[in-house]
Amino acid sequence: MTIGAEGTAAAPEVQTGTTQNKSGPTVWLWTLDNGLRVAYERRAGPGFALDLRSPVGSAHDPVGFEGSAGVLEEWLFKGAGGRSARDLQDAFDDLGVRRGGGVGPEATRFGVSGLNADLPGALALLADVLLRPDLPDAELAVLLDLARQDLEGLEDSPPDLLAVQARSVAFDGAAAAPFAGFAHPASGTPEGLAAITPTSLREFLTRYGGGGSVLGLVADADPDAVHDLMTSTFAEWRTGQNDLVTARFLPGLRSHLPFEDGEQTHISLSSPGVAPLHPHWLHWQLAITALSGGSASRLFHAVREERGLAYSVSASPVVLGGQGFLSTYAGSTPARAPETLDVLMAELGRLPQGLTEAEFVRAKTGLTASVVFGAESLRARATSLTRDVAVFRRIRSVADLRGQLAALTLKDVNAFLEGYDPAGQATTVTLGPVEVGAVDPADAVTEVNHV
Amino acid sequence: MSESFSETTVSETQVPETQLHHLPSGLTLLLEPDPAAQTVAAGYFVNTGARDETPAEMGASHFIEHLMFKGSEALSAAQLNERLDDLGGNANAFTSEEATVYHAAALPEYTPALLDTLTQLMRPALRQSDLESERGVILEEIAMYADQPPVRVIDELRADYWGAHPLGQPVLGTVKTVSALTRDALARNHRERYGANQVTLAVVGAFDPAAVLAWAEAELGGWPAAAPLPTPQLPAPVHPGTVRVVHDPSLTRVQLALSLPGLPTTHPLREAAVVLADLIGGENGALYWTLLDTGLADGADLAHLEYRDIGTFEGGFSCDPDRAQTVLDGFRAVLAGAGDLITETAVRRASRKMAVGTLLRAETPHGRLFTLGMEHLAHGHPSTTADLVDRYTRVTADDVREVLRLCPINNINEFPPTVVALGPIETLN
Repeated sequence: MTIGAEGTAAAPEVQTGTTQNKSGPTVWLWTLDNGLRVAYERRAGPGFALDLRSPVGSAHDPVGFEGSAGVLEEWLFKGAGGRSARDLQDAFDDLGVRRGGGVGPEATRFGVSGLNADLPGALALLADVLLRPDLPDAELAVLLDLARQDLEGLEDSPPDLLAVQARSVAFDGAAAAPFAGFAHPASGTPEGLAAITPTSLREFLTRYGGGGSVLGLVADADPDAVHDLMTSTFAEWRTGQNDLVTARFLPGLRSHLPFEDGEQTHISLSSPGVAPLHPHWLHWQLAITALSGGSASRLFHAVREERGLAYSVSASPVVLGGQGFLSTYAGSTPARAPETLDVLMAELGRLPQGLTEAEFVRAKTGLTASVVFGAESLRARATSLTRDVAVFRRIRSVADLRGQLAALTLKDVNAFLEGYDPAGQATTVTLGPVEVGAVDPADAVTEVNHV
Repeated sequence: MSESFSETTVSETQVPETQLHHLPSGLTLLLEPDPAAQTVAAGYFVNTGARDETPAEMGASHFIEHLMFKGSEALSAAQLNERLDDLGGNANAFTSEEATVYHAAALPEYTPALLDTLTQLMRPALRQSDLESERGVILEEIAMYADQPPVRVIDELRADYWGAHPLGQPVLGTVKTVSALTRDALARNHRERYGANQVTLAVVGAFDPAAVLAWAEAELGGWPAAAPLPTPQLPAPVHPGTVRVVHDPSLTRVQLALSLPGLPTTHPLREAAVVLADLIGGENGALYWTLLDTGLADGADLAHLEYRDIGTFEGGFSCDPDRAQTVLDGFRAVLAGAGDLITETAVRRASRKMAVGTLLRAETPHGRLFTLGMEHLAHGHPSTTADLVDRYTRVTADDVREVLRLCPINNINEFPPTVVALGPIETLN
């Protein structure tokens, strides 16, 4: 365990104070010997929130063993540190803490929040789960069956099914090898679940460790005590493996998945975006806010307000394999879906022409507010601390982000947008009773007037 | 080590005080200033919802909620949307059976604009042209939920359980009623149900209470009054104890929902009822260990739902079609054994979890706003976070046993749950 230079207030990566404490630094970043980075923000108040992000997700499932990360996360809680599954859950409940987290494509998160006095107890339980799990063989069959049920449940949920299909079409599976990549849901595939054994999962567990993992903590406790607690708690955790799965985007494809009995046609557009470490990251965020950030944003206005084509329409940034992508979604009844798709494409297509001054100012206000709101609740802040260190390689303070946003000009953003064409490279995936494009547009008009 | 971590208990935590003002127009103002907050949140809580609709006008409350965002006499829809986004884009609304809520949060420097814009939103023009495009949006919303089996099964269950009682009506209405709602009907519903006596404005976070009070006295004094809403003679809920299967061969799994009588919001044992539901159907409850830990079902829960004069225990599960009967039998067995779940340890554990959850939910102005406003609608007076936390900390095993005596959900032979199953099955016992 060392407290590196990044643990001091003078280091450029670390902010030197929030509104909570003007007398000195309130954020610390430590790196433990096994590679675990701990980002701690001290904040006055009754509660704490902790978020541990380990860089192992469903994309890391070995080819042929899809579902490993998802099933393993459940298995970890089936007893640990000498407690049965039930005793473990009771012990968390005795502290009154709330657990959160789950398995994403690139990372698994473990979250706990509660009262400050219970932080040491909650952390000890979490460490039992990660470092001293029982992994009883007898439980695995049930967990594999639950994953199978979850997978079958996707068939009853069109938007979730569309999300899986969209990734499977838009990303080249072979590029991710030896990992299974982004084409399957966290619950796996039937073949993958059939192949998973206690031995394969125990082997997979060795990926999890300090290397690449980040623990974000917001609490009101003496930093030296937090530092000592973290050191002693995670001293025995292995280093693990920290691999980035390659996400190779396949532009310009079009695919339809029939869903006979659906009420709506669901539309997904995937387009390239900007990487988190690229200097245009904030330019891109601002453009997405103008596109889809509020009720005056372009998509909401054109699709919902002006034409009444959809209830749900949005575009959001997604980070995979260290790159950024734009994911656009809308759901419309089948007769209206072709027009909805046209409007989505038209709105993406006119981004290169730039934003107006009013759109720019509004998007900047929205983004600035979301920075403050995102740091306001303990749990949200713990998660953003973790994400900052894992994805942006530094802690971005609210003041720092607000400053960067304030410095951004309309000219900067429009110069960026001139070269950004998400429509031209979009891969389109639809799911519904009728293939979009197979409907006579005249029917669509009739349907709109009919209501 | 542990002395470094503050030993403040749940009940000792300092929380802001609430101010209650009644304006001469009849509108209620709740102010909860917190100088340490980084944002300010405001919301209009209107004491009306889907249960106040006639069957022919089902969906009117929710339709009105959508139309409020279409602008006032002074502002077009586009202008109102721009103003809302200028606040930072954190405005939204929801409609439930008993309340319709319009809320927004912003940085403290935007407080005047926040209050002004939210108030413009509450003075809708209800233009015919806006009504037609919004009708399309709502029909899409209905279609969206119709693709979600867990939502469909709840709508079916409530229709059976409540019968002609208005709590059985879907909040969104149906394609038929929403297609038929006219501007006149919506304007009448709005006029009759949005009178000053039905409306509470709550403001929480970093703001100056004296300035907001002065603003409210000047701006909200002329809010039109309306006759008190009639209290109709309601048909009794049917809760027939039936088991009905909605056969849908297109589905892969079975979704099952069931309902049993519970306690109303105003009942002194309401928190104890929430604890009982948690012992049975919470994350660490008996249903979890009986049905999920064994892999029989991939979801199972039970919650206590409260309305102003009545309540229910509502829950359900999802599972493979060929396991539906086994899982339902297991669910019933858990209900039958509810009495044995009530121990001092289990109650203390569950109530502490609720108390900590209540405290932490109040950490942001936007989080606190909902509790403050909804509690006020339910009880007619505000409750501080300290009160709410305290109510959970005080729950005893005897309280929970008393709930079970009042709501004998364990006596499944005499008072069977009302059950609806949706999926690719034909029958269920």
